[in-house]
Amino acid sequence: MQKPRLLEVTEPEGSELTEGIAGEVLFKRFTFNQLVEHWVMIATFMLLVVTGMPVKFPDAWWSPVIINLVGGFEMRTHIHHFAGIGMVLLGIYHVVYHVFIDKEPLLERKVWPTLKDAGDFWQTILFYFGRAEHPKYGRYSWKEKFDYWGAFWGMVMLCVTGLIMLYPFVAMNYIPYAYVHLATIVHTDEALLATLFIFIVHWWNVHFSPEVFPMSKAWITGNLSEQQMKHEHPLEYEEAMRQMQTSEKP
Amino acid sequence: MLFIGMNLCSLLRKRCVLILIISFFVLITIVSADDDLPCYHCHTKVVNEFRNNIHYHKGFTCTDCHGGSTQSNTTSISIGVMSGDFIGGPTRNNITNTCSNCHVQEATDYKQSIHWEEIEKGHPEAATCTDCHGIHEIRAINDPKSLSNHQNSPTTCAKCHSNPEIMSAWYYGIKTDRFDTYKESFHWKALKSGYVVVATCADCHNNHDTKSHTDPTSSTYPDNLPQTCGKANCHPGTKFDAKIAAGLIHDKESLHTGRLVFNKTGMDVQMKSYYLGPFDLAYWIAIFFKILTAGVIGLFAGMVILDFLSRLRIYRRW
Repeated sequence: MQKPRLLEVTEPEGSELTEGIAGEVLFKRFTFNQLVEHWVMIATFMLLVVTGMPVKFPDAWWSPVIINLVGGFEMRTHIHHFAGIGMVLLGIYHVVYHVFIDKEPLLERKVWPTLKDAGDFWQTILFYFGRAEHPKYGRYSWKEKFDYWGAFWGMVMLCVTGLIMLYPFVAMNYIPYAYVHLATIVHTDEALLATLFIFIVHWWNVHFSPEVFPMSKAWITGNLSEQQMKHEHPLEYEEAMRQMQTSEKP
Repeated sequence: MLFIGMNLCSLLRKRCVLILIISFFVLITIVSADDDLPCYHCHTKVVNEFRNNIHYHKGFTCTDCHGGSTQSNTTSISIGVMSGDFIGGPTRNNITNTCSNCHVQEATDYKQSIHWEEIEKGHPEAATCTDCHGIHEIRAINDPKSLSNHQNSPTTCAKCHSNPEIMSAWYYGIKTDRFDTYKESFHWKALKSGYVVVATCADCHNNHDTKSHTDPTSSTYPDNLPQTCGKANCHPGTKFDAKIAAGLIHDKESLHTGRLVFNKTGMDVQMKSYYLGPFDLAYWIAIFFKILTAGVIGLFAGMVILDFLSRLRIYRRW
């Protein structure tokens, strides 16, 4: 069996493309850098949820169970702080890398929301009711963009309020106590929103949906198969094929 | 007649035997009881409580607080105890005087508190020594079962401060949600989960000289808060210009009912704005997040369900 060949869609001038396709083709979805960011995100997010939710709901029956499980309240607090700092560093790294180090022009990234996404959103709802074709997605569907920007907004909110809560008396040199108190409200409510979104919506899309069950392996390998590519990102697939043909001609 | 007489006679005889047996057991009990405390035979429950008292372990007896003579022997009715300067249960106004015989510093501190102020004004329901330390079962302060142990302080204070009858007894307006609002704080959540090195009532409000937060010498007066929070073991390094005061420490008010409560208590406008700020932001932020969470999760969970249903209808949707 031939080794799967990797197709770098974002770099059509690459030498691999000129050789044409033989055997199974894999489409590069995430760079290794993005994969590592996602893994760190998973680890810190899970730790933060497990150690944070018992404090958001202190009267729930599972609250003392989880606190004892992670080694008592003091340990819970330490884990939450360390994981939180990890997530803050991840956020800083993400912004620095993708704004300053990544060579692709900032405004030409495919992650920015466009008018097509609003149309796709409406078309998806119509499709669910059987009134339209399923929308054809490019590199990122409107769901994926919402995931990303939701996480982005959540990271900003949670990191800022989390740091305020971590050093409340430092923060109080600059802002009144009332705003530190606001930080606790924003932090816990935003965390609840993020947790619900990840566990219900994100996990459905990449994990539980019959389309990908048991999971979409892109988060481990960073690649998509041709079949997946045709189904989930048809516009990107067509674009890749066109690029390949043009580069094959000469 | 004879029949009745015989019956009475046997009845009397039975009663004599019964009385003999009872007095025998009473004597046995009296003689064999561990008898450092002559009051035990009648005040059994109280004395049993007293045996857990730190004062008992240090060698004090009933008469040290209640007066009377310690010279009485262990007869069943200790008339000797109740003679002389016997005072029985001290009235609520006098409890402090009893304790102050030994605990001079504590009593002096307590007499500056709003509790003592209210007692002097003729409101004996206000807290006195025994309300916080227990009446007969006064345990050492570091005993986890002690009422005035650091971690039990919230429930001890809540006995009165969550009771609307006591709180409205002398003037309307002492809020009964102090414990409930404390439960909103991180301090309580940590305490409840066994992390005891957090602030409880007495840490901020002071244990003996508890004062109203409107009193400029109170530890909870807005200007004094940086000092109170900045105690050596709590949040050291708190600067004096830290903006702690511009917010409510008992959270719930600014979260839900701040404006209403402040209007009801008749606090003056300056104080009110000092506490609430210009705008009850917390309330609107909480509302904003409720709507945002319900909206986003509702929408997307709906999409998940629709997605699932559409797969039932169209196996291949592409």
